Amino acid sequence: MKRNGLRALGLTTCAVVLVSLIGFAAVDLNDIVANELIPEISKAAGLALVADYTLKTVEELETLEATGRTDGIRLAANRALFSLNAREMELYAMENDALVALAVAGDQDAANMWFFKNRASYKRPELVEEYLLTVEADTLAIAAGKVLGGFYVPGSPLGAKTEDELVELAKNGESLGLRVAAATALTAFWNTGQPLTIDQTRKEILSVVLVYPELALAYQGYLAYLFSL
Amino acid sequence: MKKALILASLLLVSSLAVFGQGYDAQPADALVFPFGVAGTPYENAELGVRGGTIHEASIEDPRGWNNHTAHETSTTQYTNLMHRGLLNLDHISGAVVIDFAKSYDISDDGLVLTFHLRENIYWSDGVLITADDVLFTYNDVILNEDVDCNSRDGQILPDGTFPVCEKVDDYTVTFTLSTIYRPILNSLAFNLMPKHKLAQFVHKLNPDVPVGTFNETWTLDTPLDELVGNGPYIVTGYQVNVSVTMERNPYYYGYDNAGTQLPYFDKFVSNIVTNQDVSMLKFRNGEIDVYGMRAEDIPILLPESTGKGFSVMITDLATYGTTWILVNQDIGLAEGTDTEKREIYRTVEFREALAHLLDKDTMVQNVLNGLGTYQWTGVSLPSPFYAGRDYYGGPITEADAVTFEYDPALAASKLDALGVVDADGDGWRDLPSGAPLEITINANDNTTRIAYCLIIQDDFRAAGLNANFQVIDFNTLVGDLFAATGDIILLGLTGGDEPNSGKNVYTSCGSLHAYRYSACDDPDEVDLRIDELMDLGANTFDLDAAFGYYKEYQQLLAYQLGYIYLCQPTFLYAHYDFVGNANLSSPTSTPGGNNGLLLELCFDKTL
Repeated sequence: MKRNGLRALGLTTCAVVLVSLIGFAAVDLNDIVANELIPEISKAAGLALVADYTLKTVEELETLEATGRTDGIRLAANRALFSLNAREMELYAMENDALVALAVAGDQDAANMWFFKNRASYKRPELVEEYLLTVEADTLAIAAGKVLGGFYVPGSPLGAKTEDELVELAKNGESLGLRVAAATALTAFWNTGQPLTIDQTRKEILSVVLVYPELALAYQGYLAYLFSL
Repeated sequence: MKKALILASLLLVSSLAVFGQGYDAQPADALVFPFGVAGTPYENAELGVRGGTIHEASIEDPRGWNNHTAHETSTTQYTNLMHRGLLNLDHISGAVVIDFAKSYDISDDGLVLTFHLRENIYWSDGVLITADDVLFTYNDVILNEDVDCNSRDGQILPDGTFPVCEKVDDYTVTFTLSTIYRPILNSLAFNLMPKHKLAQFVHKLNPDVPVGTFNETWTLDTPLDELVGNGPYIVTGYQVNVSVTMERNPYYYGYDNAGTQLPYFDKFVSNIVTNQDVSMLKFRNGEIDVYGMRAEDIPILLPESTGKGFSVMITDLATYGTTWILVNQDIGLAEGTDTEKREIYRTVEFREALAHLLDKDTMVQNVLNGLGTYQWTGVSLPSPFYAGRDYYGGPITEADAVTFEYDPALAASKLDALGVVDADGDGWRDLPSGAPLEITINANDNTTRIAYCLIIQDDFRAAGLNANFQVIDFNTLVGDLFAATGDIILLGLTGGDEPNSGKNVYTSCGSLHAYRYSACDDPDEVDLRIDELMDLGANTFDLDAAFGYYKEYQQLLAYQLGYIYLCQPTFLYAHYDFVGNANLSSPTSTPGGNNGLLLELCFDKTL
């Protein structure tokens, strides 16, 4: 599965100046989400602010989702709208064909719901791994990867992997879905053990984001958890 | 229920219950739970504070509020919170313990049990609870044949008589037995009902009402302020297809050992959802606080647990209860139809063939993700009487298990021998006469049961049986079970430690002997021996002797294949971490669902 094209561009030009709010003494999530330019860090703050954003009006959120200054603002608004509009139950009520059509058109929530509704057919990790060999839409690969991550997470009765295995898979897994699976499991693993501080996590994101985007995704999820504490 | 749906928009029933003011101080006869006391089942229980609301989910609407006429868990999960009995199951260990009785004595000959009731304890409406309520419940409700009561069968003594319940004084009752009956302690855990509210509906006590009036009492149409109980919660709100709300009973007599009246949570709200997936989505979103997990939920919930603040409990503890299919051996009997099909269904070799088509290994691996156990008997695996043990309470070795291995070839040969062959060349086996044999398999909208049914359907069809699976509504399925309609039903039953509690299911005249109700009038030799063994097992306090009787009974049940057992999941549970004491959940009790004894001990840690 091909890597993110934008990431590849960043890597080859090496002209990106990484600007981050690293070293910020106190964690002001609203400040981070408004000003942080590194998408993963901005999104982490955004994810931690979703509950707050659900207190805004739908109109405000729709504006923020469309025109928010940063990735984090737009993500927070998007997730808040998803909750307020009861989009999840709307998706749950859809037939599989409709969900797949939306997923193929780029709707990640639809893809997640399709896999959720059909997960009984993928009750073992090897079945999801087989699915990943043939799936074409990135959204469906990501959805499958998230479920596969649930098998890989340490403590899982089926398919648990070690942290080292997960880091390697997040970096070099053969497919997007496998790398997302590893990222999902790593985030869960780190949430439990809390091995890094906020600042350490930010540094890790900066060190890997251009090379290993899914590993950065794992750190993003963990950072969101730290922000929420 | 259709009628209720039509009126749904108008049936927003939320009314203030008629509550009394509660106790000024902890009653002298309060039931005190020993939180944190070493050497008791409560040693790991934390003291909590009162307040807050706990939310959970239920798949079905209740069918009424009358505990003693209910036959389904969708009702009793609420009525068991509204009422308590002389005895109860311990909230953590599951052992039979005192509850509304503060003590009891057994006479030297084992025939007279004397219960001493807690004094100055009140119903939720402030009326004193006395021995009269015990006698009313036992003599005028449970033993009253005009009442469609599920627990009457469990009261029958081996000689066919019932214990005689008598009043000694306002706070003392006796139960006199004609014979020693060990399970009586389980049977006497019946929920008490308020005489002052309900006697008027019992024809025996009020001839002005028709016989059977009690069966239509405390239905869903009853104003909620009419409901009175002595349990920790009382129903105060009900919206069809939406929710049931229960609020604390100010006169509940349970306290913690720091002097706080239980339950801790002020309110308990059960959201009625269409299926378990919706329940799970609500749990993920924090709309419900506790959730009985399935194996397929683990990869979804496990990675989210820490981030969202809930815990996932994955254990290898066998759960109570059974999951089975039954072949309706009375099909068409009432209508005078399906004679040949009924004969085939009554042929044990046919049921053996079906049993050999049940791929339990695939069920456990694929449906339960390996987190399950096979079943071959109606007694729950955790029970010390489970026949897979070598002796009472002993290790489970399955040395004498009666099992039917998955063997499609053997199944085919049995069907061939019965003449159930493809007579017309259409690919499907027919009845011996050549008439078509079509088999419907019904289950409710439960993902685990649906998955089992799909596996069974595939294997039946591969063997040439024209089997078709249909999902139907739970309450409709229960109706079919009692009406002996349909070919094959897949369902489950709750279970406990005491085999005698299954008397209503496994004895030939039991109210839930659903695979062949006609056995009551026409029992065969196996039926008669099972009936005898149930009595023998109950008629001794020698647990080893009882084990022997129950072992034979379970083996006969297995050979008889009335209920054909499948698999049972190991105990999985999820709860938000703010729910104090939810971590004590086990197969014995949880904060919600059909065995919600733990609920009154749970509290909001954020308060």
